[in-house]
Amino acid sequence: MFGKKKKLMAAGEDVRLKSQIGEAETFWDLMRRLAKENKLAVFSAVVILLFILAAIFAPFLTPYSYKDMDLLNRLSPPSGAHLLGTDEGGRDILTRMLYGSRVSLMIGVLPTLLGMILGAALGIIAGVIGGKTDAIIMRIADITLGFPSMLLAMLIMYTLGGGLMNVVLTLSLVNWASVSRIVRSEAIRLKQNEYVEAARAIGVKKRVILWRHILPNCLPTLIVLFTLNVPSSILTESSLSFLGLGIQVPDASWGLMVNMGRQFLYIAPWLSLVPSAAIMLVVLAFNFLGDGLRDVLDPHQKNQ
Amino acid sequence: MKQNIIKRLLQAVFVLLGVALLIFIMLRIVPGNPIATMMGEHADPATIERMTAEFGLDQPAIVQFARYLSGAVRGDFGTSYSLGRPVAALMRQAFGNTLKLAFLAALFAWILGITCGIIAAVKKNGLLDRLFMGLSLLGVSMPVFMVAMLLQYVFAFHLHWLPISGVDGLKSFILPAIALGWNSAGSVSRLVRSTLIEILQEDYIDTARAKGNRQMGVLLRHALRNAMLPVVTMMAIQISSLLSGAVITETIFSINGIGQLAVQAINGRDIPLLQGTALFSTAIVIIGNLLADCLYSVLDPRIRKEA
Amino acid sequence: MEKNMLEIRHLSASFFTQKGEVKAVNDVCIEVPKGKIVGIVGESGCGKSMTVRACMGLLKYPGRVVGGEAWLDGKEILSLPEKEKCAIRGDEIAMVFQDPMTSLNPVVRVGKQVTEALRLHRNMPAAEARREAVAMFEAVGIPEAKKRLSSYPHQLSGGLRQRVMIAMAMICHPKVLIADEPTTALDVTVEAQILRLMKKLCSDGTSVLIISHNLGVIAQLCDYVYVMYAGRIVEQADTFTLFEEPLHPYTRGLLSSVSSLRRGGDKLDTIPGVVPNLLHLPAGCSFSLRCERCEEKCRECLPDLMDVGDGHKVRCHFAGRGEKA
Repeated sequence: MFGKKKKLMAAGEDVRLKSQIGEAETFWDLMRRLAKENKLAVFSAVVILLFILAAIFAPFLTPYSYKDMDLLNRLSPPSGAHLLGTDEGGRDILTRMLYGSRVSLMIGVLPTLLGMILGAALGIIAGVIGGKTDAIIMRIADITLGFPSMLLAMLIMYTLGGGLMNVVLTLSLVNWASVSRIVRSEAIRLKQNEYVEAARAIGVKKRVILWRHILPNCLPTLIVLFTLNVPSSILTESSLSFLGLGIQVPDASWGLMVNMGRQFLYIAPWLSLVPSAAIMLVVLAFNFLGDGLRDVLDPHQKNQ
Repeated sequence: MKQNIIKRLLQAVFVLLGVALLIFIMLRIVPGNPIATMMGEHADPATIERMTAEFGLDQPAIVQFARYLSGAVRGDFGTSYSLGRPVAALMRQAFGNTLKLAFLAALFAWILGITCGIIAAVKKNGLLDRLFMGLSLLGVSMPVFMVAMLLQYVFAFHLHWLPISGVDGLKSFILPAIALGWNSAGSVSRLVRSTLIEILQEDYIDTARAKGNRQMGVLLRHALRNAMLPVVTMMAIQISSLLSGAVITETIFSINGIGQLAVQAINGRDIPLLQGTALFSTAIVIIGNLLADCLYSVLDPRIRKEA
Repeated sequence: MEKNMLEIRHLSASFFTQKGEVKAVNDVCIEVPKGKIVGIVGESGCGKSMTVRACMGLLKYPGRVVGGEAWLDGKEILSLPEKEKCAIRGDEIAMVFQDPMTSLNPVVRVGKQVTEALRLHRNMPAAEARREAVAMFEAVGIPEAKKRLSSYPHQLSGGLRQRVMIAMAMICHPKVLIADEPTTALDVTVEAQILRLMKKLCSDGTSVLIISHNLGVIAQLCDYVYVMYAGRIVEQADTFTLFEEPLHPYTRGLLSSVSSLRRGGDKLDTIPGVVPNLLHLPAGCSFSLRCERCEEKCRECLPDLMDVGDGHKVRCHFAGRGEKA
């Protein structure tokens, strides 16, 4: 770190550096800098916003129902009436896409959040308390991470059965372990920081140190992790639904739509391609935003 | 060094045990007799009872677990409910296919990813850098099934270059392997690029150049080995994600592998088969991580000392 | 006068950033006679590192040489194609870097790192290169030289690592050794050892160009000193003259900030103000913003580097006329 600073100095930018040292940047300053320096992140934020709006206003954006069949209009290609065509049950694909975005949004955010809360709590506890508690939590994390995530998800889905809420629960249980590992190492790193030692030296209680010092300092890492874990949740859900283990018909999920469309891949490729492309776009947007956030919030985590 | 390896080995065994227990518990907390569930509503109660006894399901859970564990150690994973054949035999057949698929995918992903990453880092901000990084973004954001179906549609269905599905010689593994490795190639190339760019800024790179190394020498003798450290860690993680992806790829390309067996097992509510496949894939992940750890300590002398 | 082993002539180098050209090195001339130790002194960011890096061809993007020449033993090296520069680097001209903690490759044994230059430039077989390395390790005072060859950098102390760095630079017996703050990262006791070592090397005939912001180091070691400020040489003289009769206000400021410590005064003499922004250098003397006796013409017109006798040169409008320190 110091090496880099020295290099900057040598680059004749010391003056600029000095003017920056004066005041710490607030969260909004950072966001403004992100918006200014990283156009891709801004674009991604817009895509994500559109995606959220689509999910919220789905019923107002389309005259069709997402589950009522219209057998006279099966597998019709994209047209004026059905912008993205219809599926094997004659349902409007655009409509199903809009409703599917609700599922994807929920699947992207909810389990990531739950897994993150669980993982962060356990990770901080493990890192701060250490000893046996640490060992036990980390071994459980090891066991969870020993599974290929898809297989773990499949096993849990087998136990719980399909359906939206079970998918949410499953993904939370798949997500927590890697979060807890990262947060634990972050907590250990912070614990060794001088200001924490100083706080301990003047007799501040462990619990207070945890809340006042460790947790707030883990926040940037958590925000970045959250943005980067959302797409992986979306991808896992779509894979589960693709295998028929996740969301069940007649509910709409993008992964499920890809799966249903697969039988018609050679006569109506748009059935699978449209939802696939949507998944890709949203995942891409979250990845861009996550990378951008990481660059401004959490530079030392770059290689994780 | 030796102690470290032994410690890791013990840890791996512990994790594997934990995994076995976890799988066992998860599959047993589903309410109802699995045999009855599998055979449907109209099955004869006597048959169900006979079969329940036959599979040892009338024993207490702890006995079942002990039997299962001791069997697994000897390579006996029980008999599949739905297929009526020993799980071990089913998996042996499937394992070869999955191994071939995963190995080819890893080879494709890592060779392509590392090469592109190096080129992109060296030609930072150049045309090739932009091209590769654009492609790698597609790599990390395209779902496996999308890549698989696109490849299948274009190269098998339209162009007839390669078989659409099934296992028929090595060439039927080409499309599945690319589909499976596509994601990993993307993330490896991004990691290699960012690590290498950072490492090329390090002081010891200046030292190497000051000694009279040309760019190739700097890269091969000094930068790459350091850059490989995080990449090895990522590769270990990717073994796990390759196996996850194999479930999808095998399903799409109808390859009789571990992943497809697992899907079959779930659809057939076939506990021994599910147990076997899950345990087996986890074992592969754990062994892969162990190997990566060893490789890491060979590459990084600083770790060796801490042992 | 001995002939110059290294002669930097009117060297200018800049960083080309988005905000414009940062003139980090501006028309710098430095001579390093055979078998002498020459020092460059100045604050961080004054361009001293960049000057020597430019000579080695090790400028980092977006830095670039804008003009000037560097002659190494009668051969111009800046205009050479990269391939030939590589052949010279590490062979005829070598460099020791500031931080031995980060300047050694952490995953390669030091023996391999030290012998690398021999393998590159002399095409020497491994066994012979190892023998040379052992001899060089002994010469720079590394105990148990043979055993140390198979150590990794993290197994060595800072002082030992810097010795390794010096051994690595000296292994091909270069004509010129450049040392960029070779002792800044080290303890004071280790610093003294390393300085003694450098002095010994020089008595063996190597010419040394050393960079430091530490006047003590310069005073102990150098035969001749250049003072740099904001990318320019502001004063140059033999070491004795410079410390006895500094003429440039900046040099005086530097010296008095050290000697005030020695006098034991309770207040540290400092030079007020900060180094000017290299993006927007003042039109006149770059020190004018901080100089006590700055006048109208200082602000408007850049003074030349004037010879005031015996090779003592000063870049100040009042040099030679004002009272001496």
